[in-house]
Amino acid sequence: MNWSKSILLSSAAALALSTAAAQAENMPKRIGYVTNYATHEWYQNVIKGMQARAKELGIELEVQDANLDIAKQVSAAEDFMAKGVDVLIVTPVNEEGVVPLLRQAKSNDVPVVLEGNPVKGMTTMVAICDYDTGYTAGVEAGKYAKEKLGGKAQVMNVGLPLLSATVLRSQGFMDGLKTIIPDAVMVHDLDGGGNPDRALEVSSAALAKNADINIIYGINDSSSLGGLQAWKAAGKSQDNLLTVGTGGEGLAFINAIQNEPSYRIEAAMFPEKEGHTAIDAAVKLFNGEEVPEHIVSPTAPMNGDDWKKYYDYDGTVRTIKWDAVNALQPPEKCMKTSADLKK
Amino acid sequence: MSELTQSSAPRRSVGGQLLGSSQLVLGIILAVLCIAISLAAPQFYSEANIIAILRQCALVLIVASGMTMLIITAEVDLSVGASLAFVGCIGMAVLNSTHSLALGMLAAFAFAGGVGLFNGLVVTRLKVNSLIATIGTMMMLQGGVYLFTREAVQNHHRLISFTDLGAGYIGAIPLPVVIAVVIFAIAAVTLRFTTLGRYLYAVGANERAVRLSGVRSERLKLFAFVVTGLCVGVAGMILSSLMNAGQPTAGRGFELTVIAAVILGGTSLLGGRGSLFGTLLGVLVLKVIDNGIIILGWNQDLQMVVPGVVIILATYLDIIRNRANVR
Repeated sequence: MNWSKSILLSSAAALALSTAAAQAENMPKRIGYVTNYATHEWYQNVIKGMQARAKELGIELEVQDANLDIAKQVSAAEDFMAKGVDVLIVTPVNEEGVVPLLRQAKSNDVPVVLEGNPVKGMTTMVAICDYDTGYTAGVEAGKYAKEKLGGKAQVMNVGLPLLSATVLRSQGFMDGLKTIIPDAVMVHDLDGGGNPDRALEVSSAALAKNADINIIYGINDSSSLGGLQAWKAAGKSQDNLLTVGTGGEGLAFINAIQNEPSYRIEAAMFPEKEGHTAIDAAVKLFNGEEVPEHIVSPTAPMNGDDWKKYYDYDGTVRTIKWDAVNALQPPEKCMKTSADLKK
Repeated sequence: MSELTQSSAPRRSVGGQLLGSSQLVLGIILAVLCIAISLAAPQFYSEANIIAILRQCALVLIVASGMTMLIITAEVDLSVGASLAFVGCIGMAVLNSTHSLALGMLAAFAFAGGVGLFNGLVVTRLKVNSLIATIGTMMMLQGGVYLFTREAVQNHHRLISFTDLGAGYIGAIPLPVVIAVVIFAIAAVTLRFTTLGRYLYAVGANERAVRLSGVRSERLKLFAFVVTGLCVGVAGMILSSLMNAGQPTAGRGFELTVIAAVILGGTSLLGGRGSLFGTLLGVLVLKVIDNGIIILGWNQDLQMVVPGVVIILATYLDIIRNRANVR
């Protein structure tokens, strides 16, 4: 009992000290965030995380959506600088297009934090490690397959070859899976376009060609669900199937874990935490502190009902459990990055 | 009207007749495609793959049946893809709150039919070109669906009958295919054997003449817009059943696939000519190409490239056919 009291007291003291330290820092008054595609669930939750952290620190946060238009992104960022924001956060629509914007921000003395994608000449970027996210999910899938699928791993990858981030996820998944099941095979490597109807369509054709698979991996939740729906539409049982999703962007994966017997693993990427970390990085840049070029936002594979550790869900809205997510330790460095794909 | 146009044309060369018979050309293309893919990959003609192709054809064929009628009247609807996504979200939301498939379907039809009616009124009353009007509607729907829901509307009702709508079977035939066949048959009979169908062709061929003969051409066009909208309602509900969610991001590029299938099937964008059977062949050709690329393990980017090439070829074929008809 005394031990637990001591731990509780020391935790409270540490929390108070860190809050005081945070408050002792100079806080930027206004931060402008230009996202690339606010209609996507991932970015909606990134924004929620930013808003929560900004409110906590007493910072005014303004958000503009580029809607996948680089010209709109640049003009929104220029508007923010003209309005006198203290720090800019940008999720680049495209990597080359943002380079002049970084130069302009530098000449205006406005620090810039990038979210998601790297850009030449950047100061810092907050992003997950895509390869590691796939890898850890692959290891968990391997353990599951060894225990429940007779050690067989025949994978249908509902991927997105267009983006290096999603290619890294798929590669990581297979590499992680092979650490447990060395003879795991990728039977189908599909381009599901990252959206559910396309994923459903290509998966249907692939399953008609060869249905000898027992693992569906999707580079995002829409892809894995599209693959699973194709499996169901073909009238197949989920008894000896494992479905692995990536992202945990919205409510779809919670619904799937609750209702689909094969949907057992989710490689969660905690978009809210990424937003939270981006605001912290913005504060550090504002104070002139040294920051790493890549600030890694944590991810974690969630098995079955593990999601309840990280989220509350009332049937319509999910709420992140900050204590649990903040306790996750991200790697200091990614196992592989997009630069490794070019080698 | 296509039959009238063709039968009233003077005697043509064999080549001209062959080109004039676009359905024969398409039928040959389809047969060649099926044989070539089957030789390269025998899985192509497996029962599972044929069912997968038919299921993929079903959604396109349902909307293409309405779109054929509309294009025959010399109008077009580019908002069907955006409407498809919105319909799924609305249908699923109503299903979640009422747990009634009938009410969910009713809401979907009301919305989709309403979109068709709106498009029709803008085109016929405000005299806005249908290409422009339906691009406007498409943009409104694409934005509107995000005002309605930012996230996919999940299936909380767990109604078996709703799941069957997309994944169910009647005998060995998937239910969406049966629904598509019924809608196709109704549309084909309407176009081929009814006065209404004749009027639709006539409006597309010469609207002024139709008006002068006392027929209210605007009403016929309005009818075609509403029918297209209702077809989107059916397809939207089947798609949301297949995906087990109302997806605001669904249906991207769907309108292009539908229009490509219709014009590939020989329906003229200028109106007055075309047939549902041609549309059926157009849908089959596009979907067999789509499926074949995956079955053969080719680069999937070709799934965008090939239909693009096919659209241009089909349009060119249309021009040659028109010249042959004039001769």
